[in-house]
Amino acid sequence: MIRPVLAVMIDLWREALSRKWFLGLGLALTAGLFIFGFSLQLDVVDGALAGSKLFGRILTSSDDTLHAADSVLGAVFQALSYTLFFGGTLFLCVACADFGPALLKPGRIEHLLALPVQRWQLLFGTYLGVINLTTVFMLYAAVGSTLILGLKSGVWTWGLITGSAVAWLGFAAVYAAMLTTAVWVRSAALSAAVGIAVLLAGTIATHRAEISVAINAGFWRQTFLGLTTVVPPLGKLPEIAAQASVGHAVQPGGLVRLVAGCLAFAGALLAMGTARFEGKDY
Amino acid sequence: MLANTTSRGNQVSENGPSGPVLSTSPLSHPTSFAVNARGLRKVFAGGKGSTQALAGVDLQVPTGSAFGLVGPNGAGKTTFIKILLGISAPTAGEVTLLGSAPTDPNVRRRVGYLPERLELPASFTAAAFLKSIARFKAVPWSDTQGQALLERVGLSSVGNKRIGAFSKGMRQRVGLAGALLGQPDLLVLDEPTDGIDPLGRIEVRQVLAQEKARGATLLLNSHLLAETERVCDWVAVLNKGQVVRQGSLESLTVTRNHWRARFKTTPVQEAALHALGWVKTTLDGFRIEAASETMLNTMIDDARRTGALLVELHPEADDLEAVFQRAVEA
Repeated sequence: MIRPVLAVMIDLWREALSRKWFLGLGLALTAGLFIFGFSLQLDVVDGALAGSKLFGRILTSSDDTLHAADSVLGAVFQALSYTLFFGGTLFLCVACADFGPALLKPGRIEHLLALPVQRWQLLFGTYLGVINLTTVFMLYAAVGSTLILGLKSGVWTWGLITGSAVAWLGFAAVYAAMLTTAVWVRSAALSAAVGIAVLLAGTIATHRAEISVAINAGFWRQTFLGLTTVVPPLGKLPEIAAQASVGHAVQPGGLVRLVAGCLAFAGALLAMGTARFEGKDY
Repeated sequence: MLANTTSRGNQVSENGPSGPVLSTSPLSHPTSFAVNARGLRKVFAGGKGSTQALAGVDLQVPTGSAFGLVGPNGAGKTTFIKILLGISAPTAGEVTLLGSAPTDPNVRRRVGYLPERLELPASFTAAAFLKSIARFKAVPWSDTQGQALLERVGLSSVGNKRIGAFSKGMRQRVGLAGALLGQPDLLVLDEPTDGIDPLGRIEVRQVLAQEKARGATLLLNSHLLAETERVCDWVAVLNKGQVVRQGSLESLTVTRNHWRARFKTTPVQEAALHALGWVKTTLDGFRIEAASETMLNTMIDDARRTGALLVELHPEADDLEAVFQRAVEA
């Protein structure tokens, strides 16, 4: 049962690594880490930051006082967490949009369906392959940044890696929507658009209570609240990632609810996609 | 050269689920069928009404045969193959593949398939593509085996090149190599020589002959009737979603009781032959109708008594094109 899923994942990896998108992403991340590593100069004195330079410019606070290294770096970690989440998810929405449609391309899907593989395995293998692929890139960026900052400052934290894991969860939910869309309409553009729309909807859902106040009470407000209930509050993920990255305590109850919500959202969409895929003629 | 003049005793069935019986063929009484379709119907529902692609297809492919499926465009050939392989679901009817349901992964492991318009992942090399199929089929893989397969289809020198750079014919060959992987019991090939040059077609025919000799069943869907005629020993003609003709190629293409002969004659002998009932068809060709072998021999003896020299004799046979045309126009 696992073997065909693995076969799909291996094929997807092979295909991804030959694509310019992922080659570019790998190179961009590496270049970014190098630039960041060489341009950021931190002088740490007994845990306090004496001064830091980024692109040759000395970074100081308004009162020119020394700050604890971990507190200053916290801002850097937070910025990186948001960048990883929003930048990474948006990039991946575009870069991964074609995997589903490519799998379902006429001439290829017939060939695959005639092999000893079940339809759910094809879909699930594609989903896991993409998630797996994005995990590697996210980990590369997070571990790379952690290493650079750790070596420069002597402050070692799991925060960025934990943060990126939380951020990855958001993409897992978004990609489920993208893949399911591809089963209905074989279009990479639509798949990417749906991914971005889910990300936006998830960000809006995060602030649904505040936004709903601005909507007239009654039918429209209830409709807004109803619609935003379906989408997990994805905007909370970078917040939690940022908190985790600076070592702030994250409320376990809230995190569990969020994780469960994202997984349920992804699971429900994948179940819909599988049901459609199982009954479709090619 | 004198052609074989023995009676073939063919019995051709049309639309008959029981299939044809041919006394001289090893498959004259097929005991098992690699493909067995009964009452297959497929209706595509669309915005502008429904289209019936298959209207009750009964078709049996004897195990070990090379079976050609022919028919005009839109006859339902590809739809039939897709249902056969579980790619599409039938609206009604049932089909078994090597004795089991087409959706059974264990059965699919024993089937090699080349789709009509195969879309290969462009980033893969030919060898990587084969390796991928081996993974799906759980077939033990070795690079040597892959190289041997590529050699069989004439691609040994480009195994490590990306498929994206291949011509249509080369892609088709890669697809064929993929279908051959794991020595399948049933090969389903949808237009296998599409895009392949004439020399390549000969190579493909050789490969298919080797597969048949190995014991594999071939189901070939091709619009190239001459190609089908060369490869297949059994044929079904599909038209408007129905099997309008089905049987061994021999049984379908022979018109019984009519014979063609070539004589070396003088004008006097020619007139004598005419008097005996021989009808001149070409410069030295004659046609005669004989109800039995005895009668045929008597007629030949009479003809030779006129002094005419018999050069060639063979049963009058239609080629597949004529069979196809008659079946479709009927």
